[in-house]
Amino acid sequence: MNHRQRFLATMRYQPRDRAPLYDFSFWDETLPAWQPQGLPAHINRANARTWFGLDASLGGGEPPGWYTGIDAGLCPGFEQAILEDDGDVYTERQGDGVIVRRQRSSVSIPMHLGHTLVDRASWREHYLPRLDPDNPARYPADWDQRVRSWADPDRDHPLFAPGSSLFGRLRDWMGLENIAMAVYDDPAWFEQMVETMAELALGVLGRLFETGARVDAVTMWEDMCYSGGPLLSPAHFRKYLVPRYRRITDLCRKHGCEVVWVDCDGKIDALIPLWLEGGVNCMFPIEVGIWGADPLRYRAEYGRELLMMGGFSKRTLAAGPEAIDAEVARLAPLVEEGGFIPMPDHRVPPDVPLAHYIHYAHAARAVWGRGVNLEPMAARQHAAADAAADR
Amino acid sequence: MRGTDTLDALTAAIEHGRRDEAVALMRAAVAAGEPPRKMLDALAAGMADVGRRFSNEQAFIPEVLTAARAMKRSMAVLEPVLVDAGIRPEFTAVIGTVQGDLHDIGKNLVAMMWKGSNYAVVDLGTNVSPETFIEAAGDYGADVIGLSSLMTTTLPAMQRTVRALRCAGLKARIIVGGAPVTSSFARRIGADGYAKDAAAVVRETRRLMPAG
Repeated sequence: MNHRQRFLATMRYQPRDRAPLYDFSFWDETLPAWQPQGLPAHINRANARTWFGLDASLGGGEPPGWYTGIDAGLCPGFEQAILEDDGDVYTERQGDGVIVRRQRSSVSIPMHLGHTLVDRASWREHYLPRLDPDNPARYPADWDQRVRSWADPDRDHPLFAPGSSLFGRLRDWMGLENIAMAVYDDPAWFEQMVETMAELALGVLGRLFETGARVDAVTMWEDMCYSGGPLLSPAHFRKYLVPRYRRITDLCRKHGCEVVWVDCDGKIDALIPLWLEGGVNCMFPIEVGIWGADPLRYRAEYGRELLMMGGFSKRTLAAGPEAIDAEVARLAPLVEEGGFIPMPDHRVPPDVPLAHYIHYAHAARAVWGRGVNLEPMAARQHAAADAAADR
Repeated sequence: MRGTDTLDALTAAIEHGRRDEAVALMRAAVAAGEPPRKMLDALAAGMADVGRRFSNEQAFIPEVLTAARAMKRSMAVLEPVLVDAGIRPEFTAVIGTVQGDLHDIGKNLVAMMWKGSNYAVVDLGTNVSPETFIEAAGDYGADVIGLSSLMTTTLPAMQRTVRALRCAGLKARIIVGGAPVTSSFARRIGADGYAKDAAAVVRETRRLMPAG
């Protein structure tokens, strides 16, 4: 089976040679932190999958052609600039217009200091013109060549297309406090912004589907939950978001795309049924967190309607081989059943030792991968262990 | 409207984030000469109610933020009355996100909930060193110190901060919280208390300082 056949068979609960073996890439600090532990210096996020013996490292480390290359965000972006530099900590205006404080010694999520999007006037002036789905700059220059590949029924890799974001990007652009107030103070404006985001997704996807592209999954990004639950009440979610998700997912289904996944960290429990109601049928990356998200529990609760990707806790990766083996074995029946692609529940952080990650990749290939290509992994594991011992 | 009705309505207006109504009711209560302590309690009750619903996933961050805004505007009306009556904040709290961590939403929510319970809050911001926590706690005579962290990678900084505060011999109680923080981690690093969310922090503060 090729990557595409394996992905589709998994999402359709059909027989396949083995489960897809993906991960969710790494924090920027992780690979450098692993070099003294034995990782060769030439390994980066783009090529790490081959060294670890995985099929794909989602978010920049997959083989070529898995994503369309269409820009479904702000187009053009704002001009990026460093506004203040205090050495380790600096202030930057990002491409999305948000002013953030970052730390050079730690590539964590930055702190939002200020926003370009603050009211109706700034929305009209700075954001609406950047959300035009017909802007040609959104689409790759080699469009015709890509279209031929996208329409090829014998393509060997899956194709993932951008479904944009209905709330998450707006939250980023405005800040949580501002958008929370907008929901109450100016609901008509809030709805207008959400509608614009939906129109962007529909416009971009419509243009893609018109080409005859065989899209295997549409990806949405929201990140609208934290450790306690959603950042927006389920009532508001149902009122403003669900009908628009439905329009987007109806378009996808009309053109044969069965999988629409949403990337959302945090405790998503309260939103899963609402996403399903809107036709968003795949949750990613199922962050386990201290709230204990569990793909097995979700399958028991929602049945086969709910597809899942992720669900392997980064804390388990940090805990060590015994915990990793136990979790790989615990998830194995669900992996076998299908509708689930197990992978780390976020980018792998630097507090996970390289030896643990090698052990994880080895166990994933042995159990979920039904023993595929184990020898190179074993050799790498021993080489890394030897290198670490030499130090 | 009778005094108790006004104050009950004020509590409900705070809980549901109706700021204009809350301010009008507060003005009416002040004009009617309601006891300052009762008016303060009515505000705190509104924040406590929304906090309870937040903990039970019946209210969410927008609802807490709008309630806090209504409370803040109403408090501005009440403050001169409290000063005249000699009513001071119940406790002084110092709060910050630990060193290496730039996140502030959770910390800001906790600060709002404390303010809503009539605590004086000194917000040190994000990426706060142990030394800054020690200095501020001493300068402001903190009764309670709140440490927040979002990232698993900054949990060691939380541990270092608790250790430094202990070594400095401060009397203040230490409460920790944040996405990766658990009660067992809080115990292990020697914190006095743990709050799983912003609403729980008020209950935890009361548990640690029942005389308040």
